[in-house]
Amino acid sequence: MSTGVLEDRVLYPLENTSRRFYALLAVFVLTTILFLVAWVYQLNVGVWAATGIGDWGISGGVPWGLYIGGFVWWIGLAHGGIAISAAVRVINVDRFAPIARVSEVLTVLALSMAATNIVLSMGRPDRIFNTIIWWPATVHHSPLAWDIAVISLYLVLSLTYLTLSLRAEIAAFRDRLPVHFSPLYVLLTLGYSTSEDEKIEQILWWLAVAILALVPLLSGGVVPWLFSLIAAQPGWFGAAAGAAMLTESLTSALAGVIVITAIFRWAYDWDDVIDERIFRDLAIVLAFLALATIWFTMHDILTGVYAAPTNIGALTTAMLELSFFWLAVIGLVVSVVALFVMIGWPEQFFSIPALVGVSVILSITILNKKVMFVVEGLMFPTAPPLTNLYPTGSYSPTLVEWWLFIGTIFLAGFGFLVASKVIPMVELDPEEVN
Amino acid sequence: MTSEIEPSACSCDDGNCACGTGGCACGSGKCTETIGDSSDQGPEMPDLGQGWTTGDLDEEWEAHAEEKLETVDFDVELGVEMSRDAMRLARGELTEAEFHDKHHEAIKAEFGIDERPTKSTPLEATRGGDGNALPGVPAVEGSGLSSRRGLMKAIGGLAATGATASVAGCLDQDAGGSASATDGDGGDNEVQMGMVIDTDQCIACLKCSEACKEENNTDRGAQWMHVFRYEEDEYGETRAGQMPRPCQHCSEPSCTYVCPTQSRFKREEDGIVVTDYDRCIGCKYCEVACPYGVNFLGKNEPTEKSPGFFGSETDQNDRHVGGPPPAGVMGKCTFCVHRQDDSAQRGTTACEDDCPVDAIHFGDMNDSESDPREYLRENDEETRFKLLEQQGNEPNIVYLGNEPSNEAKPVDGPYTYEDVGLETLAEDGGDD
Repeated sequence: MSTGVLEDRVLYPLENTSRRFYALLAVFVLTTILFLVAWVYQLNVGVWAATGIGDWGISGGVPWGLYIGGFVWWIGLAHGGIAISAAVRVINVDRFAPIARVSEVLTVLALSMAATNIVLSMGRPDRIFNTIIWWPATVHHSPLAWDIAVISLYLVLSLTYLTLSLRAEIAAFRDRLPVHFSPLYVLLTLGYSTSEDEKIEQILWWLAVAILALVPLLSGGVVPWLFSLIAAQPGWFGAAAGAAMLTESLTSALAGVIVITAIFRWAYDWDDVIDERIFRDLAIVLAFLALATIWFTMHDILTGVYAAPTNIGALTTAMLELSFFWLAVIGLVVSVVALFVMIGWPEQFFSIPALVGVSVILSITILNKKVMFVVEGLMFPTAPPLTNLYPTGSYSPTLVEWWLFIGTIFLAGFGFLVASKVIPMVELDPEEVN
Repeated sequence: MTSEIEPSACSCDDGNCACGTGGCACGSGKCTETIGDSSDQGPEMPDLGQGWTTGDLDEEWEAHAEEKLETVDFDVELGVEMSRDAMRLARGELTEAEFHDKHHEAIKAEFGIDERPTKSTPLEATRGGDGNALPGVPAVEGSGLSSRRGLMKAIGGLAATGATASVAGCLDQDAGGSASATDGDGGDNEVQMGMVIDTDQCIACLKCSEACKEENNTDRGAQWMHVFRYEEDEYGETRAGQMPRPCQHCSEPSCTYVCPTQSRFKREEDGIVVTDYDRCIGCKYCEVACPYGVNFLGKNEPTEKSPGFFGSETDQNDRHVGGPPPAGVMGKCTFCVHRQDDSAQRGTTACEDDCPVDAIHFGDMNDSESDPREYLRENDEETRFKLLEQQGNEPNIVYLGNEPSNEAKPVDGPYTYEDVGLETLAEDGGDD
């Protein structure tokens, strides 16, 4: 395929809008309105009344639930997304270049949705900026303050990365981009000259290196530390949580990128732009990541049931009785088997719809695992003798909770829909034009 | 008049003199002559030795002193309040600057002038004329990395990367101040309020829970003071036990460490752990990090049990910490902080007052003469324990009696919450 044709195909959505697009836009606008309605309801009656969360201790509640589990899930998607994009640039595998832009946009949107979930779970969301005001004083001791630092750092890095990578492209194709977004394009290409291209490429490469170096420390560190440092909750306490959570995050992020890329490919008939070979290679990486997630789960179970300290043993036994746990195990095993069958016999079994199906199962499974991790830790809190003296916690999310969490997925979809009308969703090479 | 309210006239070197005002409403016999004719008949001020408190005075003498004070032209209430605070100053619960500042307005109103320094440097505030630290006032800040907090600081710095951390470190010096959760680093508080609770004495009547609810007007389902009633197997025999559980007001409170806004903090003056209700964002991290399960999110659902909260909602540093938490912010036992800031009720809590069997003993755990410490000494044959001590929070509740074993199972006591018109939310799994 010649470069000119590729450009035409990628820029097509920016130049033309189909009826299907407007239909989807209407759906997303509607879901956004419903999200806002549910949120206003929750703000009115209070998070404690609108959701299934309660106080642990004598009330037998669980103070963190779907929102916090959802926050961890979104953070995983975000960190994994930017890691995939950065890896493509650092290792210089041009073949994967078509998925880089989608990964970057996913990161920006997912970080916003992670923050939204935190706001949803707060008792006084109107005071969210107190965390920023007091940050200089709390960063010494509060894992939540570290987390705010990490999310802000990631947002700055990914937005910088996205903006820099767009400058040359937007400058080159300016005359083919929608006129009504001109002010944005002027801003993005402020002071642009073609002589900067080489420098920008170097900056992007180093940014990518920095992002890759930070992923294990931040995504595999600070976010799991929110839980693993809390000695009061034996279900969370531990050192390996970071590695396990990072693996899960990368799994769900790759699954997310596969699903979104496949949707774009299908919606705009980009079969020629995004080659099927890319999906086959991604399937191999996804298979091994999902296998590693099973491996970590196995470690959890074995150390929890074999001669473990009494309360850890009881906790693991209780986990093994949760149906959600077995749903997660089944989801992981089925996905891994399906992926290896696809890799082993691609001619018979590999298809993009099947891969998307497995990716969706994996995303939901990881979400289940994260929510279960948060909730289960709080269902069996503290150490004996208090563990036995307090009632076991119980939690089931309300409809409002479900809707607001799922609403954040729709919001992210809305974000992708808008982004597809503003920037090219596949990186183009501006030099071909110049 | 002015000469008598010179700060120099007030310097206290020990517990004997607790003067502080021109009107001189001293608690000490040495000063009574300034009231007027001291040759009046009346009970002698008893010699209580050093380190006495108002609680040690006998009522007869106090009534006599008050009667004498009626004859002076000055504000007696102010005088009494100031002398009580002067004693707190002597015990190190107040700094001289805080003491001067607290009554500055009132003194100006009464005498038209108050030249005592209200804004002194920390050095001046914490040191006497001879350069030595005043009794009870720490002269040096908490030590470096030896505490858990120190380690947290180090990790925090690592996570925030070197540069930001050092900037943040500098900012912290300014921003922290008395508002900081680093208040009285760890267990270094000079005064550390706490309790000795005698579980063998306790009869699980739930009077303490009831009194707490009435006093603090807590939400439906919230029991800041909870009484565990349990059974356990002891070498084949079934043993029943009971254990009241207020907030442990830890010396290393994990709740304050995790708080992202320093709303949850440990008071410098008495080591009480409270929440600034005006700053808390309701993230519930403190609740999650506490091993004792004492936190309850505010829901604005008061019960019929209490007519309302009548104590002061703000403490002496004007932070909103007293009474029930407003909706959406975290609350827990405050050791009746409103009482601790009120000279008439200082050193008491609602649960202690209402306990019919005197199982709860509240006071300064660092003062060997305090009620709880004395009770510990009197009962030195009894076994004692701190709850979940292995968690490292260094709780300030000491229990007398046997610790519930790891196999202890909850059972209904002689009274249930329903019996006393309270309720818990456990049946429906938390909230409805």
